[in-house]
Amino acid sequence: MKQELYRKLVAYIVENQDKFYRLAFSYLKNQEDALDAVQNAVCKALEHYGELKSEEAFKTWFYRIVLHESIILYHAKKREVPTQDSAWMEQSYEEKGFDIHDDLYAQIDRMEETAQKIIKLRFFEELTLDEIARILDMNINTVKAKLYRSLKVLKINVGEEEDVWTV
Amino acid sequence: MDRMTEAKRQYHDIPIPEELSERVMLEVKKAESNCGRKAARTATQSAVKKRTAVAAAVAAVLFVAGVNTSEAFAREVDNIPVIGALARILTFRSYEVWTEDLKISVEIPGVEVIAEELAGLEKEVNEDIYSFCERYAQEAEQRAAEYRQIFLDTGGTEEEWAAHEITIKVWYEVKSHSDRYLSLTVKGAESWTSAYSEERYYNLDMETGKWITLRDILGDDYAQIAGQSILDQIRRRGASDGIEYRTEGWQGVDEDTKFYLNQDQNPVIVLEKYEVAPGAAGQLEFEIPLEER
Repeated sequence: MKQELYRKLVAYIVENQDKFYRLAFSYLKNQEDALDAVQNAVCKALEHYGELKSEEAFKTWFYRIVLHESIILYHAKKREVPTQDSAWMEQSYEEKGFDIHDDLYAQIDRMEETAQKIIKLRFFEELTLDEIARILDMNINTVKAKLYRSLKVLKINVGEEEDVWTV
Repeated sequence: MDRMTEAKRQYHDIPIPEELSERVMLEVKKAESNCGRKAARTATQSAVKKRTAVAAAVAAVLFVAGVNTSEAFAREVDNIPVIGALARILTFRSYEVWTEDLKISVEIPGVEVIAEELAGLEKEVNEDIYSFCERYAQEAEQRAAEYRQIFLDTGGTEEEWAAHEITIKVWYEVKSHSDRYLSLTVKGAESWTSAYSEERYYNLDMETGKWITLRDILGDDYAQIAGQSILDQIRRRGASDGIEYRTEGWQGVDEDTKFYLNQDQNPVIVLEKYEVAPGAAGQLEFEIPLEER
């Protein structure tokens, strides 16, 4: 049973490696660091796969590890070399009014960490709100509320009927 | 939501380095040895080695058979349209192999030159095509075997592996042909990763019996002419084709730049993934039109 899970986890990681790399890169903006983050995540996941309970869980579980490793590395790098980019990161999205002509990708990049994660996972990785809630270990309603506020800040109109809110 | 679609596209344009799969595999292998499976691993390793040797032998037999029977084979296919008056292209060897769980589909073209005096060119081209196809198929098979080994070592069953339907494909396309020129491309690809896709272009001049170079078509200033034309085209395209070009670090055109001749006999330059745009854009083609020559 455990063996089976382990093998499925390896297959899942190998076959979705591009996605994890992109997610890591979106934070780290650098090939070497993103490769390191993914490699660390794979290492941790395979070491701790015993914590996995079911096959359904490992998608959210592994995304969580990738995010964790990326952000740890991101903060470590930020302490090392303070860059223009990291200065941007620290600005809270509530305080900052965005220029509407600025490109959305760059705007998302400057958002506060949790808001960024929710947007990236929902729109770029196309995960469900339920999956995102599990990855971030948050209540689903909190995720919804945060997403709603973030979209408002980004001046994106999402109607009630749109599948953005599908759980 | 259009802006979000655009942002998503930018995100998906993040290039995936070839190194990624190596690094992931490295961790998988490391974890495997940490879990005390060394004995099992050694056993499967030698099994895989043996298996690869057998597979290589099988492949070699197939290719040799292809070479030896090609003449008879060529005579059998007289109904294949003659390309121009001087040469024709035929499927020199085509086979599909299922090794346990892996599907390999290979279609090797052969060039048959009618003019006797060009037999040397024919031989050279066919040998090059043949060795490219052979090498690609074998390397791809090895990569798949490595992935398979990891899958099985970690407890996967043959049936589950088979469900992955790993496919290796080698095939060709005729780009153009005229009384004088023949242009074709031979490609190799794997279903589970795009990192190793390869292709090679063959451009032949049947009158001179030589390979065509960009210099032959565009003259001594070919690098400048083609390079400038590509930059102009990128500028003209702007953002209209949804590709975010990056030409700052581009090395330009040189004698190794890939190209083929299209039906109008214009050279079409093929730029590699990542060369002037994000990887998601793939390879990009630029026709260098006649009037710019």
